[in-house]
Parts: sequence; C-alpha cells; structure tokens
Amino acid sequence: MISAEDAMKKPVPAPDADSAALWRGLRDGVLLVQHCGDCRHVQYYQQGMCRHCGSESLSHRAASGRGRVHSFSVVHRAPGPAFKADVPYAVLLVDLEEGPRMISTYIGGKPEDVTFDMDVVLVCEPIDDSTTLPRFRRA
Amino acid sequence: MSDNTLRGKVAVIGIGMSPVGKVPGKSPLWLAADAARKALADAGLDKRDVDGVLSCHAFASPFHRFSVAFSEYLGIQPTFSNTLQVSGATAATMFNIGAAAIHGGLAKVVLVVASDSLMTGLTPDLALRSLTESRDQQYEMPFGIPVANTFAMTAHRHMKEFGTTAEQLAEVAVTQRRHASRTPGAQQTAPITVDDVLNSGWVTTPYHKLDCSLISDGGAAFILTSAEHAKELGVAKPVYILGGGECYTHEHIFLMPSLTTTGAVESSRRAYEMAGYGPRDMHTAGVYDCFTGTVIMMLEDLGFCPKGEGGRFVADGQMTYGGQIPSNTHGGLLSFAHSGMPGSLFHFHEVIAQLRGQCGERQVPGAELGLVHSLGAGFATNATTILGTENTL
Repeated sequence: MISAEDAMKKPVPAPDADSAALWRGLRDGVLLVQHCGDCRHVQYYQQGMCRHCGSESLSHRAASGRGRVHSFSVVHRAPGPAFKADVPYAVLLVDLEEGPRMISTYIGGKPEDVTFDMDVVLVCEPIDDSTTLPRFRRA
Repeated sequence: MSDNTLRGKVAVIGIGMSPVGKVPGKSPLWLAADAARKALADAGLDKRDVDGVLSCHAFASPFHRFSVAFSEYLGIQPTFSNTLQVSGATAATMFNIGAAAIHGGLAKVVLVVASDSLMTGLTPDLALRSLTESRDQQYEMPFGIPVANTFAMTAHRHMKEFGTTAEQLAEVAVTQRRHASRTPGAQQTAPITVDDVLNSGWVTTPYHKLDCSLISDGGAAFILTSAEHAKELGVAKPVYILGGGECYTHEHIFLMPSLTTTGAVESSRRAYEMAGYGPRDMHTAGVYDCFTGTVIMMLEDLGFCPKGEGGRFVADGQMTYGGQIPSNTHGGLLSFAHSGMPGSLFHFHEVIAQLRGQCGERQVPGAELGLVHSLGAGFATNATTILGTENTL
C-alpha cells in the first residue's frame, strides 16, 4: 500500500547494475546508448547483454541527441499529486538518430506545439544533485 | 488442431458477481467472497467442492498472495492456487490456466475469482498512483507517465497512420453507454453523445475523460470443471472453453514493436486455431476497453475488421446489436465497472451469460460462440479466450 506522503514525491531513478552508466553519463551531459560489437544492434534500454543476439560485447557511445517524434500525448491529469503542478506536459516517444526509441518529455516550448515527426534535440536536465533526466526540445 | 489441447475439455458451470460501482465498507476479500458464493450457488456446489483457486492482486488489499488470503477468508484449503499478474490480461489467463490445470489433472474444480475496491478503498489520487506503480521506475516514472499515457500514444499514432478520428473514438464510449443502460447494476447508465465525450475535458491527449474507463469497486467469480464432471453434475447450460492464447511483446512502451499492431494478433490467432473457429464465427465479444481507442485497435487485431478500419467499423454500428460483432454488451470498463485487474472478468461474466441466453433485453439472438480478450500495461500483455455452447463442440 502507498502512503499519502509517498504519493507527494516524484519518483527518482535508482540506477542498478544494468543502468548505472546511463545515469552517470546523463550527469555528464551525454546520452549513452549501447552498441553491440557482434551484431551492431543499438539499444537505449540498458542491459548486460544484447537484446538481439545475446552478446556481452557492448560498448557505450554518446548518442548525437537528435531524434524525431514517433508519437506523443499531452498529459492533463497528472499521475498522482507529485506531478499536478506540471500539467499540461507532453510525453514523447522519440526515435533517436542511432535507431532506438525512447520515452521522455518535451521542454522549452508549449506542449500543444508538439507534432508527429517533429525533429527534437536532447536536453540533459538536472532535477537534483544526483539525477539528470534526458528531455527533448524542438530542434 | 491436436487432440491434446484443452479444447472443449473444460466447462464454466457457475458465474457470480458482487455489487459493482461504488460499494463502500466492503473489502476486496469480501467482494471476492460474495462473488464466489454466488458462483457456487449458481453451479449448485458447496465451497468444499473447490480444490483450486486462481486470483490476482488487489490494489486495495494488503495481501500479496491474494488467492491464499482469499481461501482462508472463504474457509477452504485448496490443493491448487496462484495469484497471477500480467496486468489487465490476467483475467483471460486465469481461464486459460484454470482450464489447463483441470485438463492436466492438477485440480478438479477451479474457482477463478478477483476483486478490488479502487473507488472507495483508495483515494482517487492513490488509485491512479497505484496504477502507475506498474510503470518502470527508472525509464518511465521519473517523467510522470501514467499508464493511460502509454495507451494514448498508441491511439494517437493510430489516428496519424489511419485517419481514425476523435469522433470515432467517442463513438465507442457512446455505444457502450447505451449497452450499459440496459444492464442492471451498471455504474454509469445515463446516455451520452459524441459531443459529451469530446467536451468532457482532457485526461491525456487524444483521450478525454469519457474516453477512459471508470474506477470502481467490485469482483466476479467463476466455477470451472471438466466437461465430464459438468455432465455428472447435470449442469443445464455448461459453457465450454474452446481455445486460449497469449502474447507478450514487450515490457516498455518504447520497445513495443509497433504502436498500432499488438500482441492481440498472435494471442487471438492461437485461440482461434485451438478452437477451430475464426473471427467471423463469433456471435459476441468482450473486448478489453480501458480506453476507447483500445477497442478500435482490438477489433482490428482480433480479426473483426481490417487494420486501420476500426474507427469506421465502430461508427458503422458494427460493434453493437445488428452489427458484425456485438461487443461489451454489458457496458464494459467504460460504463459497467472497472475495478482494476478484475475488470475483464465482467466481460467474461457477460459473454458467458450471453452464451447461456440469460441476458434478457440485452440478449444477442442465437449467441453460441464468444470471445473475450484481456490486455494490459500498454499492450504489453494480451490474452484471448474463446467460449462456446454445447452445440459448438
């Protein structure tokens, strides 16, 4: 059961063994995606093996930060009290130039300006001393 | 179809439902037990006849092992039990797994039961927050992504790719509200128009409030046993499980292979193959309807109309009486009740009642074959069950 007090706090990502590099990279201002040395698959969702071929020869490389909006939805009813002050905000599914799709939110403009296939660029936005979130603005 | 499938080997011999909608002062365990005693009475069985229990977690209940806590509450000691969790798809998996357990000899009489009190057992904000807890805590939740939003992005993309309109989405809600107006006990029965839906305020685009399912209290229960045992008991109108199928395509919405074609294609293909029937053979359907656009996409993926045609199909009246596949004739999650994971059990209750010919003024004439499709977690989970009368074996 969730207490009313917990519901007031925004969730902060707790990096794990699979994802530590991603969150460290974001603090340094880069979005690290995993490139498979064997099959060339590129993945955003961080894991200890390639989702395509199972290889563990993965290397982290900084993504260009350029992407395109595949779909989006503007949130008017917040998922709990912690996000109430932020509405309306646009949630984006962004196709990165390197291939992977990721989920994020739009900043630097009005949510109603977001369109399908809009070109966007990564913005690394610190939300506290230890966490930086990858968001996107219009290119 | 091979002989060793569960097709026709297992029958539903009892159905029951607690009060639904706003049911204050009743715990999820009480709602489940109330539904269970009604299902047992409907089957003409005693609780001591039950040796298997399948259930799912209730957000308003502290019990992780809900099926075990439920058995203690009802005062039984089953020899087969589990608390399943594949979000909204859990309902159909309970039927598929219950049937497999009976067919495989793990249990003789399985009680499928689930309930929750999302309306009065939790505050609205906490209810919503409970639903969002199932999203990824690193990649999704820090951005404030409600589960509604993942479904909304699929519908939005469907509009972009196929020209599906907001009015067509709204038509799903309007149709199902009309259905609910004839269902005793439904939570929302006042007629609505397309304009009412479009003017009901945004939740997450393209969804307005009336494009979204309700938040409810309530539970439902079912008694499953072997076809042979159903005969021994002299059950008047057994409804048989003819086919089941599931498909799990992703966990994260950003890894969904296509936002507009879902795992329902494969789960239903498997269910149809086992049943030996196709979509055109179905007389009625329970189509998971957490949102209006979900129904449109499912009518396509379950094979009732071609991909991209779902909006027009609904607007043409094909999902209601006189159309190709009268669906959610009780009103569905949008108008009858939506108590979280158990919500899709109400679709089962309705389709089984239709196949028994017990739906009164809601009855689909000559209904002998029905399909229920349950899904959840931004289309991550899909499960289909096909049911039929004795004539369809």
